[in-house]
Amino acid sequence: MLKLKTFVSVSICLAFFVCSFSGCGKNKNEQPKADVVIWHWMTDRQDAFEKLAATYLEETGVRVLFETYAPTDVYKSKISAAATANLLPDVFNPISDKKEVASYINAGYIADLSEDMEKDGWKDIFFAKALTQNTFEPGNEWNVKPGIYAVPLDVNSLMIYYNKDLFTQAGLDPENPPKTWSEFIEAGKKLRAANIQPFVSGFGEGWLIGAFAQSYQWNLFGKEGVLETIEGKIPYTDKRWIKIFKLFEEMKNAKLFASGVVTMVNKDAERSFATGKAAMAFNGSWGVNVYLSMNPTLNYSVMAPPSLPEAQFPMLMFGGEGSSLFINEKSPNKQKAIDFLKWLTQGPQQTFLAQATLNIPSNKTVADDLSPVLKIFSENIANTFESLPKIESWQVNNFININLQSVIIGERTPEEAAKEVQGEKERQQKAAK
Amino acid sequence: MKITPIEKTQNFCFIIPALVLFLIFSLYPILRTFQLSFFQWNGIDKDMLWVGFAQYKHILFNNPAFWKSMLNAGYITILALTLQNGLALLLALLVNKNIKGENIYRTIFFLPPVLSGVVVGLIWKFVYDGNFGILNYWLTSLGFTNFADFAWLSEIKTALSSVAVVHMWKGFGYGFIILLAGLQTIPVDLYEAAEVDGADAWQQFKNITFPLLIPIITIVMILTILGSMQVFDLIYSMTRGGPAGHTHVPITKIYEYMSNGEFGYSTAMAVIFGIVLLVVSFAQIYLSKKFNYDR
Repeated sequence: MLKLKTFVSVSICLAFFVCSFSGCGKNKNEQPKADVVIWHWMTDRQDAFEKLAATYLEETGVRVLFETYAPTDVYKSKISAAATANLLPDVFNPISDKKEVASYINAGYIADLSEDMEKDGWKDIFFAKALTQNTFEPGNEWNVKPGIYAVPLDVNSLMIYYNKDLFTQAGLDPENPPKTWSEFIEAGKKLRAANIQPFVSGFGEGWLIGAFAQSYQWNLFGKEGVLETIEGKIPYTDKRWIKIFKLFEEMKNAKLFASGVVTMVNKDAERSFATGKAAMAFNGSWGVNVYLSMNPTLNYSVMAPPSLPEAQFPMLMFGGEGSSLFINEKSPNKQKAIDFLKWLTQGPQQTFLAQATLNIPSNKTVADDLSPVLKIFSENIANTFESLPKIESWQVNNFININLQSVIIGERTPEEAAKEVQGEKERQQKAAK
Repeated sequence: MKITPIEKTQNFCFIIPALVLFLIFSLYPILRTFQLSFFQWNGIDKDMLWVGFAQYKHILFNNPAFWKSMLNAGYITILALTLQNGLALLLALLVNKNIKGENIYRTIFFLPPVLSGVVVGLIWKFVYDGNFGILNYWLTSLGFTNFADFAWLSEIKTALSSVAVVHMWKGFGYGFIILLAGLQTIPVDLYEAAEVDGADAWQQFKNITFPLLIPIITIVMILTILGSMQVFDLIYSMTRGGPAGHTHVPITKIYEYMSNGEFGYSTAMAVIFGIVLLVVSFAQIYLSKKFNYDR
C-alpha cells in the first residue's frame, strides 16, 4: 500500500512538472510562420494588408504575416511585455510618446533606419511631417542617436468637421464656414438657437481636448513659447494660457458643447456627428472613413480651428505622422522587413491603401488621387505641430486636460485652472530633481 | 500516530504542484510588486533607478488626485455597504419566506453579477446618455422636461452617484445569494419557539435572524468593501475617471500611471492601496468579532 502511495505521489509530481515545462522548449524543426511578422492594431486595415502581403509574396517569394491585436491599449501592453521577454516581432509600433520610443531605442529594440531612408531617396517620398515624430535630432533630451526610426504608413491631422445641411438649417452659409473665433462663437449661437447641438468631440479622451487647446497654444506662443513653457520658463499662469482656458469657458457660456462632452469618448462623438445630432465635430482625418461607414449620405466639409485675432503665430494643428511601423533591431529578418516596408510605401501600394482604408497616405506623390475632404486634410499636413526636442510630462498634460474639463463643467475659473496646472508643473519639476 | 519520513515526503510531494503555482502566480508577483515600488522604471529600460521611498513619499504628500480617488472609492463603498447590502438583505428575507417562484427570483437577482462589467458599463452609459438615453426619455415623458439633455455622467453632482448606482445594481446579487444561504442555515425551531413566546416579526429578526447572520454579514461586508474599493471596469467603460477626474478610483489611477510607463510609481500606489484595504478588512473583522453573537 505504501509503495502504491509513493508511486502515485511521485507520478503526480512528475506529470505536473512535465506538463509545466513541456511548452518551454523550442522545437528545432519548427518552421517560422512567415519571413516577416508584423504586429499591428489597425483592425480596419487587416484585409488590405493581407492583400498587399499576398501580392508581395507573388512578386518576391517573401511571406509577410500581419497579426492584429486590438484595442490599442491591449496592443501597447503586449508590445511592452514582448519587449521585456525579448519576444518582439520583426515589425511593430510601441504606440508611445517620444520619450518612451526613446527608451525602446536606447534598450536596443528599435532599428535606426537613417541609412536605408537615404538610399534611392526613400525618405523624399514622404510628407516631411510624417517623419518628424520619429526622427531624433542631435542634442535631443533622451540621448538617442540622431536618426529616423520609423516608416510612416499614413498621415493625419485634426480639423473641425461641419454638417452642411445643419448649417443651412441654422441660416449659416455652408460654403463659408467661420474663420475667426468670434464668427465661430456666433455660428455656434445660431445653431443652438435653431435647436441644434453646435459642437461635439471626444473630450472625455484627454488627448482630444488637449489637441484642441494645443492648437491655440501654438497660435498664441509659437514654437519658442511652447518650448519655454515645457522648460518651465513660461508658467501656465501666463495670461496667454489663461486666454486658452477662457476660450473653453466662452464656448461653454455660448452653449456650444453637446451634452456630456466631457466624458464622451470619440466613438460616441463620431456617432453624434454622423447621425446629425451635432453640427460640428473636432476630429481627425480618419473620421472620413468612420462617417462613411456610419452615414454614407452625410453632407459635410471641414474647416481649420478658427484663429485668434490677437495671435502672432500661425494656427497649427495636431497631426503629422498617423500610423508608423518600427523595425526590431534584434530581428534576424531585419533587412527583409525593411525591404517590405520600402515596397509598401511606394506609389501603387499607397494608392491601394488610401482607396481601401480612406486614410491619407504618407507618400505625398499619391495625395492628388484623394477625395476632396481628404485632400483638404492632406494639404493641412504642413500646418501640423512642429517637432520639439522636449515634450511636456504626461502628468502636466493630464492636468491640462482635466482642468479644461473643469472649466467646461463650470467647476473652475480659467485663472483657477491655470493655477492648478502650474501647481502640478512645479510638483513634477520638484519630483524630477 | 507518528508520521514517518517517507510519509512526510509523500505528503510534501502532494502539495508541491499547488505550492509551485502559489509561488509563481501569487507570491512572486507580490514580492516583485514590492521590489518595483522602490525603483523608477518604465517597463522598457534595461536599468531600473533605485529611488527608495521617494515614490511613497510623493504619493503620500504630493499626489492629492490619488487620495481624491480613494475618497471616491470610499463613497461608492459606503453606498454599497448600506444601500446595496440593505437591498440584498431585504430581498433575501423575502425570498426566504418560501414564496412562489423562489428559484426564478434567485436567478434574476444573480444575473447582474455574472454579466461582464464592461458590458454593463456600456449599456448603462447608453441609459444615462444625454442625447439618446432612455432615462432622460422616461423622465421627460413624466413631465421632467429639465432632464431632456441632462448628462448624468458629465455633471459633478451626479457622475459619481450614477456610477455607484450601476455598481450597486451589478453587485447586490452576490450579497443576496450569500445572505440567503445564511438565512437558510438558521434552525426553524428557533423561530417556532419565539412564536410560542409571542415574539413578533421584528423581534424575531432582531433577536434571532440578525445575531445569527452576523458572521455571514461580515463576509458580505468584507467582500463588498474589497469589491467596491477595487471597482475598475464600470468606471473605465462609463466615464474613464471623468468629468475632470471626479470619478477616478485608485485602480483607475494605478492603471493611468501604469499605461504611461510609470511602473515603479504605480506599483508603489498599489502597495499603499493594498495596505489601506488590509487595514479596513482587519478593522471589519475585529468589529464583527466584537459583536458576534457566539461571543
